[in-house]
Amino acid sequence: MKRYLSLLILFSFLLSACSGVVQSRSTTFDLNDWDSVVNAAKGQTVNWYIWGGSESINRFVDDFYGKALKERYDITLNRVPVADTVDAVNQVLSEKEAGKDPGAVDLIWINGENFFTLKQANLLYPDWARKLPNSALVNWENPAVNLDFGNPVDNLESPWSSAQFQLIYDSARMQPEDLPRSYTELKEWVVQNPGRFTYIAPGPGGFQGTRFVKGALYEISGGAEPWSAFDQATWDQWSPQLWGYFNEIKPYLWRQGETYPKDENELHSLFANNEVDFSITQAIVGAGALIEQGLVPETARAFVFDQYMIGDFNYVAIPANAPNKAAALVLANLLLDPELQAAQILPENGFGLGFGIDVNRVTDPEDKALLEAAAQKLGQAATPAEDLASSLVGDTAPQYQSLVEEGWRQYVLQGQ
Amino acid sequence: MSQRLSTYTLQLLLYGVLATPLVLFAVYAFSERWFFPALVPQEWTASPFARLLSDRRTLQGLGESLSIAAAASLLSLAISFPAARTLGLRAFRGRQAAWLAFFVPTVVPPLAIGMGLNIFFLQIGLAGSMLGVTLAHLVPTLPYTIFTLSSVFARYDENYEHQALALGANPVQIFFRITLRLVFPGLVVAGLFAFLISWSQYLLTLLIGGGRVLTLPMLLFSSVSGGNPASIAALSLLFVTPPVLVIAATARYLGQHGAAVQEQY
Repeated sequence: MKRYLSLLILFSFLLSACSGVVQSRSTTFDLNDWDSVVNAAKGQTVNWYIWGGSESINRFVDDFYGKALKERYDITLNRVPVADTVDAVNQVLSEKEAGKDPGAVDLIWINGENFFTLKQANLLYPDWARKLPNSALVNWENPAVNLDFGNPVDNLESPWSSAQFQLIYDSARMQPEDLPRSYTELKEWVVQNPGRFTYIAPGPGGFQGTRFVKGALYEISGGAEPWSAFDQATWDQWSPQLWGYFNEIKPYLWRQGETYPKDENELHSLFANNEVDFSITQAIVGAGALIEQGLVPETARAFVFDQYMIGDFNYVAIPANAPNKAAALVLANLLLDPELQAAQILPENGFGLGFGIDVNRVTDPEDKALLEAAAQKLGQAATPAEDLASSLVGDTAPQYQSLVEEGWRQYVLQGQ
Repeated sequence: MSQRLSTYTLQLLLYGVLATPLVLFAVYAFSERWFFPALVPQEWTASPFARLLSDRRTLQGLGESLSIAAAASLLSLAISFPAARTLGLRAFRGRQAAWLAFFVPTVVPPLAIGMGLNIFFLQIGLAGSMLGVTLAHLVPTLPYTIFTLSSVFARYDENYEHQALALGANPVQIFFRITLRLVFPGLVVAGLFAFLISWSQYLLTLLIGGGRVLTLPMLLFSSVSGGNPASIAALSLLFVTPPVLVIAATARYLGQHGAAVQEQY
């Protein structure tokens, strides 16, 4: 009988050990009174759902934001790593279906179609982004900021960092003067070097590939401006030439274009293992962060074409059923802090994406000096800032996203 | 003689096939920038391991994985014990249907189960908790424990219990002194299955845990999506260690008690 009892006790102990649900107290605050937000956030835990694939980004988040949140605001950061941001979106969607409020997610690192999904479903906390104190440092007039993949941000998300499409080459294999500087030159290069080039398959998860194709669309049609608003006739006019371009280079691609790397990491691996001569990145530090992580050779360098390198911003959004909205707001504001913005672009810190704020709006001389100093230290693996600036263009209207992805699959991958 | 030699070669080949991925993991985990065409890594480093072990999340993942797998195997054994006993010892109408019902979770896609369970668990407040994830893991583990245990009970002789009853033992005594001891090796094997299946669950943990329950497979998948071979290899090594230890311990136990087990039949 005694044994029976001890088994029972062991069992109930196991069960009770399992039921550690995170509880948090709800406190009221007024968005127009920032102090009340900070007070309400005190002692809260913020559950930040963030793509966890990059160890160096994970470490940057824990070391820089985790510590600052604790020390300055007494907020605990719970970084929830997800393999794909769509997992976080699905979590919010199923909570909606189950009528669960408060839910589990406080903040999501988000942009593009994931933002669009939650915005359409009306599941985002509204009307907050421009009320953050540090939002004054954001250039909301810039269409690249107030449009996310062409979709109006509408005060539903706040920027964190910026990115721009770039290519990577290995300076041990090629000289800068031999690099192609346009899609036309790239075609010549690919034909002369069969099997040495490929790009990321456009599609969900391969948005850099979509961006690569859109850049070609800009060059073929002679400009980025017509594509900022949707027009079916323009698309019908230019898309055959776009597929023509990609079908012409297809036989000269890696594996004759029968298969393509599905994401950035696969392409980095092909590039690092000397199967192809170019890779693709979005980081402001170019190949710097990738070198730090040991993903590409130390001689890797970033470069851009002379024109049509699409750049954009990425954001954080708060679900409408977030349990700790005040803490999420404080974190979103902290992301725009000039000191941390300066830290995020340095290659040695491992994040490597660009500023979310506009440096010209920073008035504090100390902060300004810090930001400018950081911009000087991007390292030799980065694309020169003036090249980035002169080639920068915005993304297309969102309707083109699926047209490009589906059209590419139909006319290029399947080759009809 | 030559036959013995070929058996020996075959054995060696098999071990080789089994060990190669592990050896590769070990080499990758300690290398940096190991690119084609280099045959061996050019730079050696222990930093992926150091980073892994200094990350609070790794230890948290290890702890949560271990507790969930242990709780799921114990619960699974407790639930399947009566079911397996009946299935193994009794012939009754609907027995085939019962077998089939227990078998269903192994063929229904976990995504379908997970989505449905998640909505239900969200409603009753179990989603996102370790208890919820443990209960969800019972879905794939139960068929295996039930099948293993029912085959044990199929060879079980109830007369030992009758004899004890005739000698004046009460039901509790019979359970602990007769039944449990006779089927214990079978329980160990079934528990091992349950542990291994729960240990490697990704999808159910992701759906039910909603990212808040952090098991090692969750960390592994998100690290794989990042594509850094050294970190993936280091995490993989950590991931395979507990199952290997559990299997080794079980094999050792069964080896020691194998003779006693055989005696019973």
